[in-house]
This record gives sequence, C-alpha cells and structure tokens, in this order.
Amino acid sequence: MTASPSENSASETAAAIEEFADRVAGAVGGRAEVSHGTVKVRVAPSSWKEALTVASGDLGLVFLSWLSAIDWTNEVAVGDEPDEPVEERYELLCAVSDLSDGNLAIISTDLSHDSPSIASVADVYPGANWHEREAAEMFGIDFVGHPDLTKLYLPDSFEGYPLRKGFPLLSREVKPWPGKVDVEDMPENGTGPSTENPGA
Amino acid sequence: MESTFAHHLSEAAVSVELETEGMTLNIGPQHPSTHGVLRLVATVDGERATNVRPVIGYMHRGYEKLSEVRTYPQIITIINRIDWVSGFANEVPFVVAAERLMGVEAPPRAQWIRLVLTEMARISSHLVFMASYPLELGAATPLFFALRERERVLDLLESVTGGRFHPNFNRLGGVKPVYAAGPTTKKAGMDIPSGFLAETRDAMTKVLATCDEIENLVAGNEVFLARTKDVGIMPVDVAASYGVSGPNLRASGAGFDLRKVSDYLPYSEFDFDIPVGRNGDCWDRWWVRLEEIRQSCRIITQAIDGLPSSPLQAKVPRIIKVPAGETYVRAENPKGEMGYHLVSLGGLGPYRLKIRSASFSNLSILPWILEEALVPDFIAIMGSLDFVLGDVDR
Repeated sequence: MTASPSENSASETAAAIEEFADRVAGAVGGRAEVSHGTVKVRVAPSSWKEALTVASGDLGLVFLSWLSAIDWTNEVAVGDEPDEPVEERYELLCAVSDLSDGNLAIISTDLSHDSPSIASVADVYPGANWHEREAAEMFGIDFVGHPDLTKLYLPDSFEGYPLRKGFPLLSREVKPWPGKVDVEDMPENGTGPSTENPGA
Repeated sequence: MESTFAHHLSEAAVSVELETEGMTLNIGPQHPSTHGVLRLVATVDGERATNVRPVIGYMHRGYEKLSEVRTYPQIITIINRIDWVSGFANEVPFVVAAERLMGVEAPPRAQWIRLVLTEMARISSHLVFMASYPLELGAATPLFFALRERERVLDLLESVTGGRFHPNFNRLGGVKPVYAAGPTTKKAGMDIPSGFLAETRDAMTKVLATCDEIENLVAGNEVFLARTKDVGIMPVDVAASYGVSGPNLRASGAGFDLRKVSDYLPYSEFDFDIPVGRNGDCWDRWWVRLEEIRQSCRIITQAIDGLPSSPLQAKVPRIIKVPAGETYVRAENPKGEMGYHLVSLGGLGPYRLKIRSASFSNLSILPWILEEALVPDFIAIMGSLDFVLGDVDR
C-alpha cells in the first residue's frame, strides 16, 4: 500500500483487471472489454437476468452500484451527433462490485429501438427497483416483472422520455448552443497555445 | 373497556371479527428532517408502519440531460450542486474520469490539494450530520459545537477556492491556478494562500478537540442512546444489494472504503483507519461518522506536512475536447460512492454522463428499513442515513 505508483505496479494492476474481466466474462457467458480501467462485459438480452444472478451469487459482486442506459442514435436533438454512424440501439448497463477488492464490472446488453424490453432484476438486486424505474421513465425501457414500474422523478402525467437523444431541450430550441467554437488539438498533436498563454 | 365490549358481544351471541384498518400517514414533502423535499406515504397499523413509499423527484434538475449540452468545464460548475453539503467532493471523480479519457494526469501537488479539500468537504459534511442528527432527536447543544467547527473548515475551503459550498475549483488536468483571496497579477507566484498550511494545522487540532466535546455531550446521553441503539438495523448483505454505500455500509460491518482500494486520489500514501460498526443501527451510523472526522483530520495533517512541489496544472488545450471512449470513475464521497460513467465521442461535451450519487441508493432502502418500524423512530432512522435530496434527485 505504501509503494508509490510505478510502471511495475501499473502493469500489475492492468493484468489484474484483465484477469477479473475474463473471469466475469467466463462466468456470465459474455464478451469482456476493458476501457481505461473499466471492465464491461457484454451479454445477450436473453441472458441479462441470468448474468446478474451469477454476478451477485458465484462471482460475489454483491454490491449494486447503478443501472442505467445509453441511447445510441444518429439523430440527436441535443448535443453532438456521432461523427461516424453508430448502431441504433439502447445499451442497458448495470454496474456491480464486490466489497473486498473494489473490483467493479459493468454488465451490458443491447435493446432494439423499436421495442426496448428486458427482464427486471429487481428481485436479484432489490436496489435495482428504483434504477429501473428511472431508466423506464427516462428511456422508455420496459422492465418485465418489475413490481411497480411507475414514474420515479417525473410527474405521472409527463409525456415523452427525456434522456432519449431525440427529446429536445426547450432552451436549445429557443437559442442555439453558444458553445460551438474553434477547437485546438491536444498539445502533442499540434502547436496550439496551452493554458499558460490563454490567447491574450 | 374491550373486555366488557367483548362480554356484551358474547352475551348477545353475535360473532364479530374485530379488525383494525391501516391508516395512511403522509409525511412531507416539507419536513425539517428530510434535508430537502422528500415525501413519505406510510401505511401504519397503530404505531407501526406496514408499508412506506418514498416519493421523490421534487428537486429533479435533470443534470444528466444538461450534461449533454454543456462543455466539460461547464459541467464542473453544475455538478457542484448535486450534493451541496460537500460540493468539492462531487467534482473530483468527474475530472478524474475526463482526465483518464484524455490520457492526462494532474500533477502531484494538484492531486494532494484535491485530496486535502476532499477531506475538508468530508469533515464539513459529517459535521452537518453531527449538528442536525442530535437536533432531530431533540438535543440542540451539539449543533453549536459542530457548526462552529464547520465554519472553520469552510473558511479554509473558501480561502483556497473562493467558494464555501460550490468551489468550482477543479480543472481538467489540475486545479484552478489562481485564488480569490490574494494577488492575482503574477502567475509565477500563484498557489494556495500563504498561511493556509499553518491555519489548517491549527484548525485540525480544534476540530479534533470538538469531536471529543461532541462525543462527551452525545455518546453518554441516555435519551440519545435509547433513540438510536438497536433502532433501524441494516444487515450488510441487504445494504449491499440496495447499493447502500459509505458510512451507512461501514456501520453495518463492511470494512469497504474506496479510498483504500481505488486510485482516483493518492490515498495509498496516507496512513488512516476505516472505522467499522458492529450492529448496523442508528448509533453505529452516528459513531462511524464521528470517527471518520477524526481520520480525515489525520489525513489532512499528513498531507499538509508533506505537500509536494509541482505545477498545479498539467498541459491541456485551451478548449478541451475529450477523446472518444468511456470509463466509470467512482470516489468515496462523504455520503458514499459517487461516480460518473462518462461516454465521449470526442466532442466538447459528453455523449452521455451517468451520475451515480450516493444518497439515491442510500435512500432506496427506506421502504425496507422502515417496514415494521415505529412511527416515532422514522425521524431517527431517516436522519441516520444522512442523505441530501439534491444528491437523490440530481
């Protein structure tokens, strides 16, 4: 614990993360990806609930960190559009962790844009109850078997799914986003000024 | 009375099943102990709750949607407001997540300053709990001790960052290289204010002394003990499955602290203990937080003794585009695990930012923990979870 970060310990950490990712992927029958120290395991929608049951049981990932979704789409009403076309889908993510070494895995699955529907995991992780209600009202995902899929944050009469990329933000409709300005390269890519010389 | 009534019934040879009917009790949304606007719809059978349904969303500000139309530096400003009792601590996991995607690391001095200020945020957050929790149970005196020390810590935070609640002090690649309370003309001399280290050392001694005072005032108080011991017991496996984290989880017996197992800040270079409770009741949750203040004082004292020298800011472009990628960075915030799942497509702002806030999951256990609880214990149990509604609703 007292050793300061060195190249050696960094590569050891990276190896430990890879090993953990492979272990989770093997146990839940998915495909592991490691990105910037974050482990993500992709599973098929049909094995979503089973994967999380295995994670909470055999793998000892007993702590539910969060559950949410990403709307992957090429037509966005707010924010930046993807430069390269992405596969249109909702990506459902559930982050679970152990309570000893701090290993965290994000279990992920893809749902179609037409009928986003998936088995609820509220009986595997009781804490998923609220997270699924949030994902349901924000993305319009149906969690089959959820005990009470009512709105969590939004008023009952609210229409639309605000975190879908196609849901407009009223203030941006009134006035275009003023943050679009020229952008410089990262320092290693070019000779743009750094913070030392803020263009004065 | 009842026996006479029953006697009459049996005399009249009438068979009547006497039933009690559940009553619905509405608490909030405006109640002083809810730290914001939380509404509880409780079904009670006499003094005992049979079902409790929290209603949230009164403070939902839609930060996840807003983040999609803000640039990275602008997001640092708004995420301050999630858990406003420890604003500084909210910023750190976000900037670390963005730095990881950029492949930039903050210089050592900036990381240590982040660490010191995060621990100050922890002390001030826990001191609010030390002030408000006994007050909710009827003891007003500890409030004055705790808030006096909190003011001392907030003054220190303000002297460095310029803000008491919303510092907006972190930058991608470091911390703000200027401070409000000093000369801002010469860039070379810009650093934390002179005298800050000595004042911090002095303040930590005083905070530690006040911890002893608060302990003397509260820990032996019979009323406080009766209201908190064996009340609102939360087993560790239930807590974990609900995602309860931070002091609430440690009070239940799990010695899990992200400062020990994660490297978002250089905590591995510090010597500190993780206080762990035994029963997971309200008393343990109070005690764990008191001990955590002491441990934070230990960390800060070590940090100001060995503050490394380096610039406060790594080289980054003037206008920041974060390269495409995704990562999740979580931090041990005063209220528990706070994390940001950042998905970038290489633009000026994130494509998607999932904000994992501690109070949301800590509050989601309310229906479980309040079931079968006595109505007079509601406030004791809710207060002991130490949530902030801004952190719940986001």
